Amino acid sequence: MSATSAPSTLPIVDIRHVSKSFGALKALNNVSMSMSLGEKVVIIGPSGSGKSTLLRSINKLETVDSGTIIVDGLDINAPATDINKLRMELGMVFQSFNLFPHKTVLENLTLAPMKLKGMSRAEADEMGLKLLDKVGIMEKAHVYPSKLSGGQQQRVAIARALAMSPKIMLFDEPTRALDPEMIGEVLDVMVTLAREGMTMAVVTHEMGFAREVADRVVFMDHGGIIEEGTPEHFFKSPEHDRTKLFLSQIL
Amino acid sequence: MKRLFKSLFLVSACAILALGVVGCGEKKEEKKAEAPAAAPAPAGPKTIVFASDATYPPMQYMNEQKEIVGFEVDVIKAAAEKGGFKAEFKNVAWDGIFGGLENGKYDAISSSVSITDERKLKMDFSEPIMAIEQMLVVGTKEKATDLAGLKGKSIGAQIGTTSYFVVKDVKGFKAVKTYDEVGLAMEDLVKGSIQAVVADSPVAVEYTTKKYADKIKIAGVLKSDKVENIGIAVKKGNKEVLDLVNKGLAAIKADGTFDKIKEQHKMK
Amino acid sequence: MSETRIIDVGEGAAIPSKTDWGLFNAWTISIVFAISTIFYLIVFEPAPYKRIILYLSDGVIITFEVTIISIICACIIGLITGLGRVSKNKAINLLASTYVEIIRGIPLLVQLFYIYYALGRLLNVHDLTAAVIAMSVCYGAYMGEVFRAGITAIDKGQSEAARSLGFNTKQTMFLVILPQAWRTILPPVGNEFIALLKDTSLVSILAVSDLLRRGREFSSETFLYFETFTMVALVYLVITLLLSKGVSLMEARLSHYVRH
Repeated sequence: MSATSAPSTLPIVDIRHVSKSFGALKALNNVSMSMSLGEKVVIIGPSGSGKSTLLRSINKLETVDSGTIIVDGLDINAPATDINKLRMELGMVFQSFNLFPHKTVLENLTLAPMKLKGMSRAEADEMGLKLLDKVGIMEKAHVYPSKLSGGQQQRVAIARALAMSPKIMLFDEPTRALDPEMIGEVLDVMVTLAREGMTMAVVTHEMGFAREVADRVVFMDHGGIIEEGTPEHFFKSPEHDRTKLFLSQIL
Repeated sequence: MKRLFKSLFLVSACAILALGVVGCGEKKEEKKAEAPAAAPAPAGPKTIVFASDATYPPMQYMNEQKEIVGFEVDVIKAAAEKGGFKAEFKNVAWDGIFGGLENGKYDAISSSVSITDERKLKMDFSEPIMAIEQMLVVGTKEKATDLAGLKGKSIGAQIGTTSYFVVKDVKGFKAVKTYDEVGLAMEDLVKGSIQAVVADSPVAVEYTTKKYADKIKIAGVLKSDKVENIGIAVKKGNKEVLDLVNKGLAAIKADGTFDKIKEQHKMK
Repeated sequence: MSETRIIDVGEGAAIPSKTDWGLFNAWTISIVFAISTIFYLIVFEPAPYKRIILYLSDGVIITFEVTIISIICACIIGLITGLGRVSKNKAINLLASTYVEIIRGIPLLVQLFYIYYALGRLLNVHDLTAAVIAMSVCYGAYMGEVFRAGITAIDKGQSEAARSLGFNTKQTMFLVILPQAWRTILPPVGNEFIALLKDTSLVSILAVSDLLRRGREFSSETFLYFETFTMVALVYLVITLLLSKGVSLMEARLSHYVRH
């Protein structure tokens, strides 16, 4: 909307030399990475590798200690940047869904567009129902989240993020908390989204998804990016020993 | 660091415990020591315990040595000497003072108790000690000299006193407020929360001439067709105590001691 | 070092009975007992009791007024304090914490004397106003702790989800965190309401003509101590029971969703 849209030559997300520590633990160590509009990047790595921290620093849920992060042409850590406005363009999906339990499914979707974009209830409801239809749970529009299965809740969470019409979607291990039989339904929604051209950064252990959807796979370990490349290159001929070890353990 | 705190805590807890045990032990010993001394008491003069609301200068109040003193206290002490009894004073809040007498918590009340017909139904009274009047106390700038002049204003008095009874049914005031202590009523008057206080004459004189001499004054006397006397109250039917008190009072009035005490306290 | 305080947020305002015996529960028995005793006494022993209840009636209204106004003010102060206690702004946090520490360290009775008599010379406040200020300031501190506990009990993911949608901290607090926190906050707040109601009896020392002072006035004149204080106790009981019922009804209305 009002945020200046970057020329297509510039990356929409540009992370430069970013470091972040939690006490003695170095979560991110001089990490640089960029994404262009429409690109789907899947970030993989063992737990504690810093991949979630990297993803969460893109919308400033984590504030980095040093380095710069440019999103859509704006330095997110600059004092002049209205981070709340910028976050409207960054949809985020969490491992633990984090739906608002005091709101119905539809209200979860319509709350932010109504309060932040000044959308009328009718407009918001119409859009919300369309999105619920898209993720396949329109019939649950008026129930509370606690009545839904994990897979359904995560699909609602995706729809809630989409309701703000973001430019980029960030997924932080979206299937990790799900029972195996529910993983598929969430991944299907994500695949559909990818096919529609959404710019996506996904932290996940779902290698099938990475293979099918990713334009680029990024492997992280010990707070740094070890290796990145196309899925084909990455899965067939990884260069680094640590990547090989990780893939041998997970595949 | 944590361990240090822990041990410090333990040590201090032990110390407090030890002190407590020692303290308790001492108290018990004291009691034991007292018991034999108290046993032969009946041979001596009878002790009468008087309840006093010691917030009522100059009649009875606490001095800085935490003793109950005042005009009426001196009168009772003198009467005890002549009447052949021992007087002990106990500080009791006014609005429960009559309940305590009925429940036998003490033998008598010496607290500027006005002798009224209603009270006579519940308790017995000694011969009158002296007559008092109800006085109206106001701020120095107030022009009113009687209750009628204070219509629409707030007026205060101590709870459960004749001072309160004379105004409680008078219509036209904004509020009639009752205070636990007459001093709190005077404080509120000085502060300006209320515009007048009704009080016994000795108390009214005390506050307007000493404590708040520059802030409040006596506006006038509330005229009454009945003489209001103060006396000592005892539980209904307690003739033994009543006789001792009356004997003492009569004696000091007869030999001039009473007038001397009055003079000492500059009572009219 | 950050201090942690444990606030009991589990207990309801009305004592919940394990087995549901319909109308045969502690609340119903108490209220039926209290009201029927009052009516029995007024109807069959009007000589003292009708006089007493008439004398007490304006005191009941004062007690009610002080309670309701103080509850509202204490809730507002408590909310502000609670928000201050969870604020990331160090100065605000320190201010709120200091307020809580000071107020919790001074007995309510002393605060009442202090505001009315000690500060009275400087700011001449009306007795009712002083009573309401003291009750609100005191209970505001207690409620601040309850609010803080309720707010911090909400999962961090909730505020992250709200912030990631673009809500600012204020919107996050009022649209997402607080609406959920009410549920955990209400039972202990209800307890505070009832404690506050009972503590309003302390304001009688400011010569406020509340229920207790009216009782003391009547009994010190008539010497009907037993009869008067029986009535005073019964009236307090009825008001407290009604308030606790109101709180538990509010709780029931707020529990229409189940937290995951």
